[in-house]
Amino acid sequence: MKLRRSMLFLPGANAAMLSTAFVFKPDSIMFDLEDAVSLREKDAARLLVFHALQNPVYRDIETVVRINPLNTPFGLADLEAVVRAGVDIVRLPKTDSAADVHELEAEVERIEKACGREVGSTKLMAAIESASGVVNALSIATSSQRMIGIALAGFDYVMDMQTERGDGTELFYARCAVLHAARVAGIDAFDVVYSDVNDEEGFLKEVELIKKLGFNGKSLINPRQIELLHNAYAPTEEDVDYAHRVVAAAEKAEREGLGVVALNGKMIDAPIVNHAKRVLQKAQASGVRK
Amino acid sequence: MNDEFVFYTINPHKNWDEGAEIQRLLTLCDLDMDEGIETFVVGRQGRRLVACAGLDGDIVKCVATAPDLRGESLSLKLMGEVINLAVEQGHLHLFLFTHPSNVSFFGGCGFYELAEVPGYVTLMENTPVGIKRYSDQLRKLTQPGDKIGCIVMNANPFTFGHQYLVRLAASQCDWLHVFVVREDVSQFSYRDRYALVSAGVAGVPNLTLHHGSEYMVSRATFPDYFFKEKGMVGECCSAIDLILFRKYIAPALGITHRFVGTEPFCKTTRKYNDDMKQWLQVADSSAPAVTVVEVPRTVSSNIAISASEVRRLLRSGDMAKMPALVPRDTLNFLYSNYAT
Amino acid sequence: MKIIKEALAGTLESSDLLVKVTPLPEDRVDVVIQSEVMHQFGEQIRQVVLATLQQLGLISGQVVIEDKGALDCAIRARVQAAILRGAAVDQLDWSKLS
Repeated sequence: MKLRRSMLFLPGANAAMLSTAFVFKPDSIMFDLEDAVSLREKDAARLLVFHALQNPVYRDIETVVRINPLNTPFGLADLEAVVRAGVDIVRLPKTDSAADVHELEAEVERIEKACGREVGSTKLMAAIESASGVVNALSIATSSQRMIGIALAGFDYVMDMQTERGDGTELFYARCAVLHAARVAGIDAFDVVYSDVNDEEGFLKEVELIKKLGFNGKSLINPRQIELLHNAYAPTEEDVDYAHRVVAAAEKAEREGLGVVALNGKMIDAPIVNHAKRVLQKAQASGVRK
Repeated sequence: MNDEFVFYTINPHKNWDEGAEIQRLLTLCDLDMDEGIETFVVGRQGRRLVACAGLDGDIVKCVATAPDLRGESLSLKLMGEVINLAVEQGHLHLFLFTHPSNVSFFGGCGFYELAEVPGYVTLMENTPVGIKRYSDQLRKLTQPGDKIGCIVMNANPFTFGHQYLVRLAASQCDWLHVFVVREDVSQFSYRDRYALVSAGVAGVPNLTLHHGSEYMVSRATFPDYFFKEKGMVGECCSAIDLILFRKYIAPALGITHRFVGTEPFCKTTRKYNDDMKQWLQVADSSAPAVTVVEVPRTVSSNIAISASEVRRLLRSGDMAKMPALVPRDTLNFLYSNYAT
Repeated sequence: MKIIKEALAGTLESSDLLVKVTPLPEDRVDVVIQSEVMHQFGEQIRQVVLATLQQLGLISGQVVIEDKGALDCAIRARVQAAILRGAAVDQLDWSKLS
């Protein structure tokens, strides 16, 4: 069970950020070859990311690369580079249907075979940025064994919906649809970026909302947001205490070969045990909420 | 990690409003607008114009950043944009003039000092090895002898005056190096000028004819030469050209004497000749002095022969006096291109 | 591989480098490295650059590098980008670039 609360976006053309971002310790680092890279720098950014992925400093952190869409002149070259460089996850932008994922998956498999990488070891995630993507969210989420998550991308989506970013009402249906699809598929769900890096209050409010909805985490554009997000996702001391007792009870039941887990005389189901494990994982990653 | 500065390119002559904004930023930084610049890179933070840099061919000019934002990152991003723009326009090799106090700043942007007029101006180029590699190339063409002469000529076009100067200088030296100014902003193209010089000096045995370069009488080393219509002669700019000559070109070829014709008509060239004595002979320098030899013009039909006189006659369509002024090859060239 | 046109890659910003390539009239590789950390890492930078050029099979061109304290991986990437641009290569063999 991989913790994915924070996914930090890094512009693929920026050598300084690529060289230092690992120090911020987000759960995942996403090198962007798409919107953050000007047309002039597509080739150079691809090479930078290709080499950054092979740098030992990224060995212990999950790496994601947002490639250009496959229908652009850059998408396939991006994929060739990052699969060979050992990226953990390829993020496909502008995913409208399961067919987009299937097309990507076929190319990934071809490259894995060509370079001798274990087939299936490159994981995928899809960014949903349109009304069709939202409507097809479930089929996208379940389109491949390689899928580890789906992410909502707000900027293009609100334009497609003929609206604009506001208090979140405009994203309400999309967030719910993406989240449900992810849960049905058993994969992670990521919320949109919060682009005003100076508005800490607004960021935390949005984090509170998406945490309540059930998102695993959020895409971030500023390292300063990582700690805020991790803290907001951190359990309270009571949560941790309770989770310890749940897990202890479950372990005891398993040791004793009991089919039923009980705590304080009440029966506890598997989802509660799983939830408790996630609470402890978060507490271990960034302590209790401050 | 929002990139808070946005850069783009404008033509200040076509975008009046932004041109005026650039003007204000330059004024704030004690710089003058250079009207010749057709391309500016500008940087904005929000709606505010916070940085600008002009590109005039291969010369970076009018570099300014808002005084309250003088951090490394804005200036470096600005210079990075200019360098990229220049490459798109075909110029990887760039020059810039700046006050000597800014040399270390531009050093951080990959520019290296070529020549300095202390207290006034420094010419820089954006490669650590530009002048060095050029000098290395020249050094291969060194000729033996104690007295090595040099003439740098624009030859716009080549006249009997040039021919006289060349033959006289060659007769006084062990070897003579002749350079043709390469900058293509004169009435006659570089290719034509070079061809006519080549034809006109044929038969002089102890002579090497060189292509000019950006390091001598170019827009970079001596911009005013090509903007004489402004009626201004830049004290410092001719000094830069001459300092470069003395520091790099003369030592590379072992040049001991520089020959130059007296100049009765052109104020800029006359000034250049005067400066030549100052910077090649008189001024302090780590490089050896080069003796300046001024050769009086030859006179034909009571007029001193000069290229500017040839151009004047061409403009007035007066071909009759031409055979007295230019050698056969130049004459043929003028007839085939100008005679009606 | 030969440099057939002037090209550059990279930036002057900290932790990056600017690489400029220029054609040479003969089959010769001229490498010039300037670095803010020259006295400390000069030799290491040179090794990385030379290895990268060799891997690409560059036989002709001038390569001028202005290093601002970049990591080896950035040096490799920028040198490759500049060379590939200057040699006008767009079909890459990624297995030869690692």
